Amino acid sequence: MADKTPFDEMYNPDGSVREPYRALAGWLAEQPDKALALMQTDAEAIFRRLGITFAVYGSDEGTEKVIPFDVIPRIIAANEWRRLSKGIEQRVKALNAFLYDIYHRQEILKAGRVPEKLILNNAAFCPQMMGLNPAKGVYAHIIGVDIVRVGPDDFYVLEDNLRTPSGVSYMLEDREAMMLLAPDLFHRSKVAPVENYPENLRRTLESVAPDTVRGSPNIAVLTPGIHNSAYFEHSFLADQMGAQLCEGPDLFVDGGKVYMRTTTGPEQVDVIYRRIEDDYLDPLTFRPDSMLGVPGLFDAYRAGNVTLVNAPGTGIADDKAVYTYVPDIIEFYLGEKALLQNVPTYNCTDEDQRAWVLENIADLVVKEVHGSGGYGMMVGPTATKAQHAEFRKKIEARPDNYIVQPTLDLSTCPTHISGDVAPRHVDLRPYVLIGDEVRITPGGLTRVALKKGSLVVNSSQGGGTKDTWVLED
Amino acid sequence: MRIDIEHKLTLSLQPGTVHAVLHLLLTPPSGPSQTVESWSVEIAGIGNAGRFSDAYGNAVHLVNQSRPEGDILVAARGVISTRDTNGVLGKPGGEPVPSLYRRVTPLTKAPVTLYGKFRNAKESRLDVLHALMGRIGETLGQPETEDAPTQMQATGEQAQSQSSGEAPELPPAADYAHLFIGAARALDIPARFVCGYVAEGDGPAAGLHAWAEAFDDRLGWIGFDASHQLCPTERYVRLAVGLDAESALPLRTVPVGDITQKAVVKAV
Amino acid sequence: MRMLGRTAANLFWLSRYVERAENMARLLEVGYRMSLTSRREGGASEHLISMMQAAEVDEGFDAKHELADVDTVAHYMMFDPDNASSVYSCLQAARTNARSVRTAITTDMWESMNGAWLEFSQIKPRDVRGAKLLGLLQWVKQRSHEFRGALLGTILRDDGFSFLQAGNFVERADNTARILDMKYYVLLPRATQVGGDLDIQQWTLILRAASAHRAYRHVYHDRYKAHNIADFLILRPEMPRSLVYCANFVQQNVDALAKIYGRKEQCHEAAESLLSLVKDTNMEAIFTDGLHEFLNEFIARNNRVTDALSESYNFY
Repeated sequence: MADKTPFDEMYNPDGSVREPYRALAGWLAEQPDKALALMQTDAEAIFRRLGITFAVYGSDEGTEKVIPFDVIPRIIAANEWRRLSKGIEQRVKALNAFLYDIYHRQEILKAGRVPEKLILNNAAFCPQMMGLNPAKGVYAHIIGVDIVRVGPDDFYVLEDNLRTPSGVSYMLEDREAMMLLAPDLFHRSKVAPVENYPENLRRTLESVAPDTVRGSPNIAVLTPGIHNSAYFEHSFLADQMGAQLCEGPDLFVDGGKVYMRTTTGPEQVDVIYRRIEDDYLDPLTFRPDSMLGVPGLFDAYRAGNVTLVNAPGTGIADDKAVYTYVPDIIEFYLGEKALLQNVPTYNCTDEDQRAWVLENIADLVVKEVHGSGGYGMMVGPTATKAQHAEFRKKIEARPDNYIVQPTLDLSTCPTHISGDVAPRHVDLRPYVLIGDEVRITPGGLTRVALKKGSLVVNSSQGGGTKDTWVLED
Repeated sequence: MRIDIEHKLTLSLQPGTVHAVLHLLLTPPSGPSQTVESWSVEIAGIGNAGRFSDAYGNAVHLVNQSRPEGDILVAARGVISTRDTNGVLGKPGGEPVPSLYRRVTPLTKAPVTLYGKFRNAKESRLDVLHALMGRIGETLGQPETEDAPTQMQATGEQAQSQSSGEAPELPPAADYAHLFIGAARALDIPARFVCGYVAEGDGPAAGLHAWAEAFDDRLGWIGFDASHQLCPTERYVRLAVGLDAESALPLRTVPVGDITQKAVVKAV
Repeated sequence: MRMLGRTAANLFWLSRYVERAENMARLLEVGYRMSLTSRREGGASEHLISMMQAAEVDEGFDAKHELADVDTVAHYMMFDPDNASSVYSCLQAARTNARSVRTAITTDMWESMNGAWLEFSQIKPRDVRGAKLLGLLQWVKQRSHEFRGALLGTILRDDGFSFLQAGNFVERADNTARILDMKYYVLLPRATQVGGDLDIQQWTLILRAASAHRAYRHVYHDRYKAHNIADFLILRPEMPRSLVYCANFVQQNVDALAKIYGRKEQCHEAAESLLSLVKDTNMEAIFTDGLHEFLNEFIARNNRVTDALSESYNFY
C-alpha cells in the first residue's frame, strides 16, 4: 500500500487540475514570489494576537501554541459534499438511536447484533443513564466525524467523536483568517458559508431545553477553566452564541435545579453545553475527587430540570471497539446499508487475527482502545523497529486494549511548506448538530500533517489546519 | 407482617463547609413483597428537595444545605407491611432491563474458585443460585459481627460509619452480597445489590442489612441473603437497589463527611 | 444576560493588576533615578528601600536578599515571580483574569492585555540593565495606558465597566496613600517652612512617584512646599492620583452599580465612608488629627470597599 501514490485532492495523476481546484490553481499561479510566505506570517500574527492558542499538555506550564494554519484551502465539490453529508446524517441518527436503545431496553444486545459484554462491561457505558429520557430523545447533540479520503470516491470514517469534540473554533477562525488574507480568492469561487455555526449551535441547544422551560432558555457553556487546552474554543463559542461561560464553581444545584451565581444572586440554567468529561461532571455521581464539576448536576439532569449537551455516556457509541459495529448499528435501527465505509478493523482478541497482526505490524496502524488525540498510537510504516517490537509486546499483553487497522493512504492536498508548495496528508472533521433537526456545517476542519510523509494530523503531534471549502453549485 | 422502622443518620462535615449536597436513597418502594403504609423523610430543606428516580428505579431526594451548623440529621421512619414470597419478587415493571446487572463493578469481583464449578452446571438456574449461596456460606462461615455486642441488643441497633476519603465501610453482610453478585454475574446471571432493613427473629439481627437479588428468566428477581443462607422472608424490607453497595448507599454527600447511622426495626 | 459573580471579580482584579503593574514600574523608576543622583554613602539603597516600602514588598525582598542594590531591586520588582506584586506577577495575574473573562471584555482590551503579556514574557531579565531598564519601565506604563485607552474607548458602560473602574481606582488610591505614608514625616508642618536639600530630594521623590512633579507647578506656581505637596496628593480634585479624586471615582462607579442593579448594598456605604474622609476637609484638620493616622484610616476604609464589593456582588 505504501508504494502507491496517494490520492491528490488538487491534481489528477496526469498533472491536470481537478475541477473544484481550478480557481485556486489560477490564483496560486498569479501569486508573486514570497506572497504565500508573507500570508503565512500574517496568519500566524492574527492567530496569536487573537489568542487562538491551545495549551500543550506535558510541556512547561503556561506554554500556549498557535496551531499552524496553512494558507492553501482544501476544497470539496458540491456533489462530493452531498454524498458525504447524507452518509454523516445517516450515521449520527443511527448512533443516537443506538444510545437510546442501550440506555433503555437494549434490543440490539438481545438481538445479538452487538456483543452484550462489549457494552455492559465497557468503561464508557454509563449505568447511571439507564432509563433517562433526554429532551427530544437526543444523546449526542454535537458530533465531529473524522473522515479520510483515499480515492476520488472512497471516503472512510475513521472515528465518530460523540463526547466533546473540539476544533470547531478553528474551522470558524480559519475561514475568518482566509477571508482577511485572500479576499480576492473568494470572489472567484462560490464557497458555502460556515459562519452560521454559532447560531445553529444556539438553536440546537435551545431546541433541547427541558419541556418545562417557558420562553428563551438560559444557556451556559461549562468549561474546566483557562488551563484547559480548548479554553479558547469554550470562550469563543460562548461569546458567539451569547451564552454564559461558566466554570464548575459558578454553578450550584438547589432543589434539583441548576443555578449560576451572578452579581445579583442565583439565576436558573436550562441547558448546559458542557466541555467537561463525564468523569469530572459531578463529584456526587461520578469521580468524587473532581474539583471541576458541579455536585448534584447529574441528579438535576435526571430530575429533568436541565439538559446536558452531550449527554453523559455517549462515549460508548464512539468507543473504538464499538466502532467496528457501526455498519450493523445503522442496519439495525434504520434498515439501510451504511453510506460511508468503516475502516476494516482487526480484532486482536481473535487468535488468528492477532497472529496476522503481529506478523504484519510494520504495515498497520495500532490504536489504544481508549486513547485519543494521537496518543498511544503507532503508525507502522513510519514507526521504528523498536516501536514495532514495543507494540507487539503491548498487544500480546493486552489484546483487548488495541484495535488494528490497515494504514490508509490519506489523500494529500497542496500545502505551503517554507516557501514551497508540497503535498501533505489531510483528514476532515465535519461538525454535526442534532436537536430538533440535523444541521451539518458545510466542510468542517481539515487537519494536515505538516511533516513530509506523516499520516498523523493531530495538533499535539505536529499537525496544522486548513480552511475547508465546500463549493456551491 | 407490619414492620415499624426508624432510620436515623448523622452527617458530620468539616467545620466551615459552605455548601453540602445530599443524595438520599431513603424511600422504600412498594412491590410484591412489601407495601409502604406510611413513610416520611425528615431533614432540614426536604420541602425544597429535588425528587426523581435513579437509574435503578430508586426514589431519590436531593437536598442542599448552605453553611450547615453542626451535624446534619436525617430521619426516615414509617410502617411497611410485608408478605412472605420465599424471596421471589417476579418481574415488576418500571425497572431497568435485568441484563444491566451483568455489569461487573470493582466491588463485585468474585474469585473463580467460587463459581468455577457451576460454569457448566446442568441444574436449573435456581438450583445453581442456591448452591452458590451455600458455597459462599461454606467458604466464609457466619459473619463475625454476629457476636458483636451491639448486634445482640434487643432493639437491633446497628451502627455504620463512612469515613471521608476512603471506601465506605459496609455492613458486613455487604461483603457476602458482593461475592454472591460477582459470582452470579460471572455465570452470566444478572444480580443486584439490595440495601434494606430486617426485623428481629431468626437469622440476621434487626437493623440495617444488605443482601443480593438474582434474576431467573422464569421467576424474575429472587432474593438471596448469603450471610445467613436464606432467601428473604417477611422480616426483610427492601430499601434501595443498585449495581453494588456504592450505588445503593442510603446517603451520599459532597463534600464527603462522617456518617453514623442506626436503624431501629420492630415488628408491630 | 446577568453577570457571574466570578466575572465581576475577574474584571475588578484585572483592572487592579494593570494599575498595580504601572505603579510598580513608576516606583521602581523613581527609586532608580534617585539612586543615581544620591551623593551620600548608602543613599542609593535607601531610596530603593523606601520605594519597596511604598510598594509593600520590602519584607519579601529582605527575606530573599541581603543587599539592596539597583540590579537586585530592579529584578525583584520587575521579574521575580515570588514577588506577588512584581510587574511580572501583575501582568500575569491581569492576563489570567482577562482570559477568564474573554467574553466580558472587548477584543481591543484583550489584544492589548494579551500582547503586553506575550511581549513581556519574552524578555530575558539579564538583558535589562541601565538605560534598558528605564526603557522597559516606560514600556510598562505605556502598555497600561494602552489598556486603559482600549477600555475607555471600546467597552459598554454597563456593570462590567463599573467593576473595572472601581478596581482601577481602589488600587490607585491605595498606591497614593502608601507613597504618602512612606514619607509622611517629611510632609509634617515644622517651625521652618523652608526645606533643605535633603527635604527637596524627598519631596521630589514623592511627587515623581505619583507622577505629579510637573503637574505640581501647573497647580501651585510655587516652589516645593510640604503643605502643598500633601494638599496636592490628598485633596486636589483635579489631580488624577489624589486620594479625593480616586475616592470620588470609586464612589461614582459603585453608585453606577446601584443604578444598574436597582438597589444599594453594603459596598455603597463603604464607598461613601471612604469619600467622607477626604471630602469637606482641609490639610489643617488632617495635620491636627495626625497625617499618619489619617492615611492608615484611609487605607483601611479603602480595603473595606474591596471586601464589601465582593460580599455585595458575590465575588468568589
